[in-house]
Amino acid sequence: MDFTWDFSAVLQNWPALLKGVGVTAGLWAVAFPAAMLLGVLIALGARSKHRLIGAAARGYMELFRNIPILIQLVWFFYAFPIVTGVQLSPYVAALLALTLNASAYCSEIFRGGIASLAQGQWEGACALGMQRAQVLRRVVLPQVLKRMLPAFTNRGIELAKNTSVASVIAVHELMYQGRALSAVSYRPLEMLTAVAVIYFVLIYPGAYAAGRLEKRLALRSA
Amino acid sequence: MNYAWDFSGVWSHRDMLLAGFVGTMKIAAVAIALGVVFGVVLAALRLSGRRWLALPALWFIEFYRNTPPLVHFFWAFYALPVLIGVSLDPYLAAVIALSTQSGAFFAEVFRGGVVSVERGQWEGARAIGMQPHQALRRVVLPQAMPRMVPPFIERAFELIKTTALASTLAYSDLLYQAMQVNSITFRPLEVYTVVAAIFFCTLLVLSVGARALEHRLGVSTRPQGA
Repeated sequence: MDFTWDFSAVLQNWPALLKGVGVTAGLWAVAFPAAMLLGVLIALGARSKHRLIGAAARGYMELFRNIPILIQLVWFFYAFPIVTGVQLSPYVAALLALTLNASAYCSEIFRGGIASLAQGQWEGACALGMQRAQVLRRVVLPQVLKRMLPAFTNRGIELAKNTSVASVIAVHELMYQGRALSAVSYRPLEMLTAVAVIYFVLIYPGAYAAGRLEKRLALRSA
Repeated sequence: MNYAWDFSGVWSHRDMLLAGFVGTMKIAAVAIALGVVFGVVLAALRLSGRRWLALPALWFIEFYRNTPPLVHFFWAFYALPVLIGVSLDPYLAAVIALSTQSGAFFAEVFRGGVVSVERGQWEGARAIGMQPHQALRRVVLPQAMPRMVPPFIERAFELIKTTALASTLAYSDLLYQAMQVNSITFRPLEVYTVVAAIFFCTLLVLSVGARALEHRLGVSTRPQGA
């Protein structure tokens, strides 16, 4: 092996990579809260006594979890405009696909979390005269949010990894910048290795925190 | 909305999509098999009790688990050939990317299963004169394996979905073939909807099979009625 590593191309193009990191972070920062919000609604829908709403919510969860994210992305970019007549920019299509995909997983976490709480809590709060929305906000969520924290952290990590798929429809995030730069500089090994390391540095702290959190919660409940 | 759906273009190119489906299934099967091998090796290294073996394995696993799969594909296709001096075709690069990343996840599944068996089981087996490999094979693994099945199946499903990324290397999987059909028929809505439906139905059928298997092995962790 007589290959000599040369990271000068990476160092010279640092600003472009940093810009990619910014777009990646932007995608994540918009899609994650939006997915959580949507996830709560779908989880509530799945619990609904109304059969049609329940079936629709469960269908949504199954649909978005059983189709590869890349196919969802391609669908929203190339097929969705034909249905709606609205052409989405790559960035918006990526946001939409990432958010809807993550929301299906988030709703599963919410559903599991809400189901883990004893039914008596609902009944007790209702007996005090609270509306269902009040029960959820004041009684149920405060108790289960902590329990769901590790699962949400893991979901955030998966979402961060999924943002890289947006490069396929030419969103200028980190993966896209890395590929473009490796073509220009003829240094794919250094450039793509640098991109991998940047992703790791961005994502690993979250994974570490999730692991610690899980252990702490396990100890407390033991 | 007055769009007229027309699936005739998709239907007349069904042989291309079928070839893509076969390509997807083939790469998934090969990657799962190789991933299990990688996973067993990595788990064995981590459980070896020797720091100089366990630590590199841990780094490898952590690195692969915390970087996007797409990076692994591009790295295997564009960067690895520079390092080893041999160019790889899309199929080989995709298999390498898929099996190393799933190996990292499988390793944690296997290790988790072994670690979940009580320490006393090891000690007891050793106390009645078993060698470590005997204790592993006869006492620990029979208890650990059923616990590994549900998380293993979960990871295998993730892997099947991840195979779609191989299309970015121009490997002829289902998605890549769909893109070709789209460029002939100019019917992206029909083509990509059909591809999404094929994936959805395939995974649904497989998950029914997986649940039946878990049920039979008595290892289902799913709540009843879910």
